[in-house]
Amino acid sequence: ERDEEEGACGEWRESLEMSRRYDSRTTIFSPEGRLYQVEYAMEAIGQAGSCVGVFCEEGVVLAAEKKVTSKLLEPSKTSEKVYVIDKHIVCAVAGITADANILINQARLSAQRYRLAYQEPVPVEYLLQLICDTKQGYTQFGGLRPFGVSFLFAGWDRHYGFQLYQSDPSGNYGGWKATAIGANSNAAQSILKSDYKDGLLLSDALQLATKVLSKTMDSTTLAVDKLDLTTLIKSKSDPSMIVAHSLNEEELEAVLQETGLAKPKPADEAS
Amino acid sequence: MSILNYNGGCVVAMAGKECVAIAADRRLGVQLQTVSCDATRVFQMNDRLFLGLTGLMTDVDSLHNLFDFKVNLYTMREGRQIKPKTFSNLVASTLYEKRFGPYFSEPVIAGLNADNTPYLCAMDLLGAPAKAEDFVVSGTCAESLFGTCETFFRPDMDAEELFETISQALLSALDRDSISGWGAIVHVITPDGVTTRTLKARMD
Repeated sequence: ERDEEEGACGEWRESLEMSRRYDSRTTIFSPEGRLYQVEYAMEAIGQAGSCVGVFCEEGVVLAAEKKVTSKLLEPSKTSEKVYVIDKHIVCAVAGITADANILINQARLSAQRYRLAYQEPVPVEYLLQLICDTKQGYTQFGGLRPFGVSFLFAGWDRHYGFQLYQSDPSGNYGGWKATAIGANSNAAQSILKSDYKDGLLLSDALQLATKVLSKTMDSTTLAVDKLDLTTLIKSKSDPSMIVAHSLNEEELEAVLQETGLAKPKPADEAS
Repeated sequence: MSILNYNGGCVVAMAGKECVAIAADRRLGVQLQTVSCDATRVFQMNDRLFLGLTGLMTDVDSLHNLFDFKVNLYTMREGRQIKPKTFSNLVASTLYEKRFGPYFSEPVIAGLNADNTPYLCAMDLLGAPAKAEDFVVSGTCAESLFGTCETFFRPDMDAEELFETISQALLSALDRDSISGWGAIVHVITPDGVTTRTLKARMD
């Protein structure tokens, strides 16, 4: 039964016997100085639909894979991958959606409370710290399991302009130029490492995010209904306003066409 | 001296055919002294919904900020814009929560329903709502505004006529109130958008 339990994680083989004693409580370290519950939470995220984030001067692009578990499922009116936190912040989710909903709600409340108190939009990193502090709390006290969610936060504030952050169940976060979470995030990350360049235009960022996502997804061809592309940019009509725009079917088709990833038309060559 | 008369000010809203208008004066005073001529007491909550607040200015500001908070959360959680009648109920509940230590402000809500029919509602400081099909008023010259609106109003006006009517109703009432006035602003909401105009008024 050892093989069934391990799954794909070969490196845990040696410490499996030992780790059995240290993985049932979040609030203790293992002898190797690891928090197994936190690591197991990250395992859960590795099974979830991928998300890719790419930063550029004009704004930030978030691309997410929508995993459709059944044809019978009613498509949700709001995305289950990309959420609006405030007018100037959006985030993509990888992991347990129910856990994510709790944190998203908290993020929204924190953002509005800041607005009420200071009459200005919450700085992106400040909001992220509040969320990550909550996540960290669940790794240190209370005896409750950690949140099985990683986020990609994209936002704009007047202090640092456009920003992209990634956070994980441990409560750690970092600022990124391009990053990925969810299934095959390691593969996505290495592609981003080689393909990302400074000075990308928004259209380039859209293409890069889509291309990387397609390489990490299970299916061979990217379809419009499996993809959620959201951009966070300054409004063209009013540059003092930030706009989060989730691309509609037409725009998604256009991006897929440009990247050469569109589903091949019948009797046409494959992309 | 009532606390509701401390800063002065008034708001009126009127319905037309598939349009609403909401207008207010721009005076902020400390009893008889005028302090500002560009005070804002009418706020846009979403594309088709306006909130006007009279009374104590600090409560006008606080309530406006509080409703921005609540409406933003509503919009994000529901994934859609709040309806005027739902917002009215939100305002009423928020005011009644402070039943024994109220906000000294009497709101006016003006909006367009999804089918483009106008929605008007006024409330007292404790949140008792009064819906109307024609016009609603609030503020230190509310009684005068009732008189002018009753006289000038006619049903099914278009946006241009509505603007003229509400402007004349407001200006006539302002001239009889020493603590309202010093400028006026009018917003006209139609299915196509919002037009905002300031009125040339007696600056006294």
